[in-house]
Amino acid sequence: MSLASRPSRSPQPPTVATLTLEANRTSDPSTGTAVSSQHSSLSVAAPRRSIRSAHKLRSQYPRGSTENHVEYILVASFDVDRGPVMEHQYPVAITGDEHMLAELMLPDQAHVRNQDWTIFFLHKDTSQEEDEEERRAKEERRKRRRRKLDREKGIIHESDDEDEEDGDLDDDDWDDDESTDSEPEGGEGPPLIYVLNLVNTKQDKTVKRGAVVKAMAICTRHPFLHIYKPLLLLALEEYFKSPVPETLSMLFTAVNNMDLSLMPRLTLLERHLLQASDNKDLFVEKFEQMIQMRIAEDRGEDVTDQPFDASRSPPKRPGIFRSGTKAHIEGQSTYSVPRDTHEFESKVMYKGIPIPIKVPVAVMPETVGDFSLIKLIQTFSDVHSKTPQIFPLHPHLTTNGPNTHPIIILVNALLTQKRIIFLGHNLPSGEVADAVLAACALASGGVLRGFTRHAFPYTDLTKIDDLLNVPGFIAGVTNPTFENHPEWWDLLCDLPSGKMKISSRIDPAPITEGLQYFQQQNPTHASLVTGSTSSSSASDLTGDVAFMNDILRGIAARAGERVIRAKWRDWVVKFTRIAAAFEESVYGASALYIGSDDQEANTASNNNGHGYVWCDEASKAKELAGNVTRIEGWRNTRSYYSFIQDVAQLYTVRPLKGLDLHHMHDRLRTQRLSPGQSSEIYTAFSKYVHSYDEICLLLSVAPESHAGLFYLALGLFHKERDVRIRIAVLLERIAEHDAGQHWWKALSRFEKLAYVRIKREAELELAKSKQKDKDAIAAATAAAASYNGVGKRVS
Amino acid sequence: MGQALSFQSIFGKLFGSREVRILMLGLDAAGKTTILYKLKLNQTMTTIPTVGFNVETFTMKNIKFNMWDVGGQDKIRPLWRHYYSGTQGLVFVVDSSDHNRIEEARTELHRIINDREMKDCLLLVFANKQDINGAMKPLEVTEKLQLSKLKDKVWYVQPSIATTGEGLLEGFDWVSDNIKKMAKANTK
Repeated sequence: MSLASRPSRSPQPPTVATLTLEANRTSDPSTGTAVSSQHSSLSVAAPRRSIRSAHKLRSQYPRGSTENHVEYILVASFDVDRGPVMEHQYPVAITGDEHMLAELMLPDQAHVRNQDWTIFFLHKDTSQEEDEEERRAKEERRKRRRRKLDREKGIIHESDDEDEEDGDLDDDDWDDDESTDSEPEGGEGPPLIYVLNLVNTKQDKTVKRGAVVKAMAICTRHPFLHIYKPLLLLALEEYFKSPVPETLSMLFTAVNNMDLSLMPRLTLLERHLLQASDNKDLFVEKFEQMIQMRIAEDRGEDVTDQPFDASRSPPKRPGIFRSGTKAHIEGQSTYSVPRDTHEFESKVMYKGIPIPIKVPVAVMPETVGDFSLIKLIQTFSDVHSKTPQIFPLHPHLTTNGPNTHPIIILVNALLTQKRIIFLGHNLPSGEVADAVLAACALASGGVLRGFTRHAFPYTDLTKIDDLLNVPGFIAGVTNPTFENHPEWWDLLCDLPSGKMKISSRIDPAPITEGLQYFQQQNPTHASLVTGSTSSSSASDLTGDVAFMNDILRGIAARAGERVIRAKWRDWVVKFTRIAAAFEESVYGASALYIGSDDQEANTASNNNGHGYVWCDEASKAKELAGNVTRIEGWRNTRSYYSFIQDVAQLYTVRPLKGLDLHHMHDRLRTQRLSPGQSSEIYTAFSKYVHSYDEICLLLSVAPESHAGLFYLALGLFHKERDVRIRIAVLLERIAEHDAGQHWWKALSRFEKLAYVRIKREAELELAKSKQKDKDAIAAATAAAASYNGVGKRVS
Repeated sequence: MGQALSFQSIFGKLFGSREVRILMLGLDAAGKTTILYKLKLNQTMTTIPTVGFNVETFTMKNIKFNMWDVGGQDKIRPLWRHYYSGTQGLVFVVDSSDHNRIEEARTELHRIINDREMKDCLLLVFANKQDINGAMKPLEVTEKLQLSKLKDKVWYVQPSIATTGEGLLEGFDWVSDNIKKMAKANTK
């Protein structure tokens, strides 16, 4: 009978037992400071203490912040005599070319549709004064924080008293990003202003030439601008009725009163985990904690209001329920935890109507709006699968020869910074914009940056001169005249037909040193380098054919958007890691990977290695050969340079600097290891992975979509007893982790049983050794007693 | 059936089987969009100002026309030049009843036609809105537009009433004939 049929023996996560183990905890190899005790006693019997983040929980959009959700609201119309004109701007006029804005707000062929959405970005340069002010304010905050820290350590500055009061006040909520966890944010320049625009055409016999065309736009710095769609629909309708600035101000007030203060801020690693997971409960603890903090805060205010009365019972703690549950609706509690932790639920009150809003909790860089990768992939795959397109060869683009999949051509074009146009003749401009935004996310994978900043989700002929000044852009247009100008683009993606065109005027790829070095180093594979021959199409050197098949199978099997995005993220991560391996082998060094400068850490990392893992040298040479041209094409682009910056910046905040967990986990996954080798890896995992962040990092290299903890849990069956116990203890730590508990739950019964068995063994062992100790002590006392006895007798 | 096919292919060879690209320009409210949809659908549509452009294809006299109609408000006229390349025929529409703006129309027309990219294209002028009292006759339009100044240019002025379709087919007869002539000249 299977084990499953005996529920009584079903293994529970951490059972009641005490397991003491010489974990010999070594602290983070790179910091070198001994934070922990030499021996860690892992008591599972104690009330489950979970491993929590050391970061203070903060709101992404704290209460009372001066930063508005929406910065401007604009209205433009098409004047029958003058063309596009701006009618109103609220609260103030955006600096810059007003006419250009009006043109963007009235997309081509707005007259043939009743309604059309567009998205465009504004690069608003903060003026020098503003910049200076911002910088000074940051500096001031940083100083204050340092002083506060010093004070806590007991160091007192002379100038401390001056700005004491305000210093404490805004320290907690008003933090600039660098101070909290210094994760890379914008990169080049100030954040973009995203503009969501709705245009309506109304036939009206009473006006000159029979129609009124008006557009309203919301300008925000939030990348999730799609949440404002229902509001724009209502507000534009309202504006047709009363075309006055008050209509704009009413919308402005409504959207800026939206409360997101209970949405917790996640670290980069946490955001990665949440994005890659389908689990609706992941990090739910943080939401609860936010609410509890708020309740405490509210109560605190109450207490100050009323004199404390001991006879009164303490105020009842209102229950926190999951939103949408029966308890929540019946309980009428003010606060609720979202149904799905991927989305924070809020509302906007517009003219007395509550409009529900769902804000994504984890937004990765380069993710703007609510595009669909699946839709983009399908658009260019369906036609290709029926009548495969034959492309003219270009080393950067056709990495699988003339039959390269269009989506791979697209992502190659993005990586090598080509000029890309999405053309959607007779499509609403909103669809074109979505394709552009999806393309940005495709090449970024949440890892690389520099795409949205040069994206023009919707543009038209009026901006062509500016567009052509941008080296490498991604633009969406509806005007088919763009197709007649191959000198304007390198790759044209035609949405209605699902076909791509490589321009006849595209610049040839230069022969680079890297390419030549590679060919000299690998004479056997030199001929395989793509672009030089078309033979590469036969053997899938890059693995992209297999990858695309996997993606398409996934879509056919109704895998969700999140799954497909996670797969692309993996592809992009793999590309960067292959690029690092390529640079190391060809140039001898790579800025795409930073090892540790710490000596001890270096030895640790040398033992464990780093970088992408191939099963053997031959497959490495082949895969590099397939990638050489596009890597060389990537090496001079914005996304390449900003990635180097990000790697350097991330390095300063990331845990376990000396170790490449990804590499170690990949070795377990892909290579045939001797027991000795795997023991080394397992030991390293258990030695170094302790803290909250460290476990997050480990989970991120073992996502649920890649069998989760499966490969780690294999260590439970390792030949060496020590390894088995170490992994059992590590898994226990993971099970206590806020996010890790979900990974633990996903382990199979078989693995959990092994875990329980190992623990039992360890317990027995412990009991035995204790017994032994006792015996030894007893023997010793006996001996001592007899000695004393002897002494006495002698005296 | 086989015969019919081969017959068509001969035609294709003679006149070039690809589409003929026609660009239709003119001041705002001259009747461009009305002409386009009268030709395409043989329907009189109530049109509203064109935001950007319209483009339609239709076949006439065995020639496939790909006709572009671009909005005419003065602020968006600088965009016209982006439509020039590859254009074989320019249809310029004039509101014959608008005496005040005929000068403006002339300036625009000469600016277009003197562009390097337009040097080989045919010019058809529709002297539109002939049904309105006081509309200029074709000859007057020819003079006001100073068409005689155009050297090495094949041009023709056709009176028309876009809303009823009067004159439109005649105008395109002229275009078809001249396109065929040009094709023959090129093959020779």
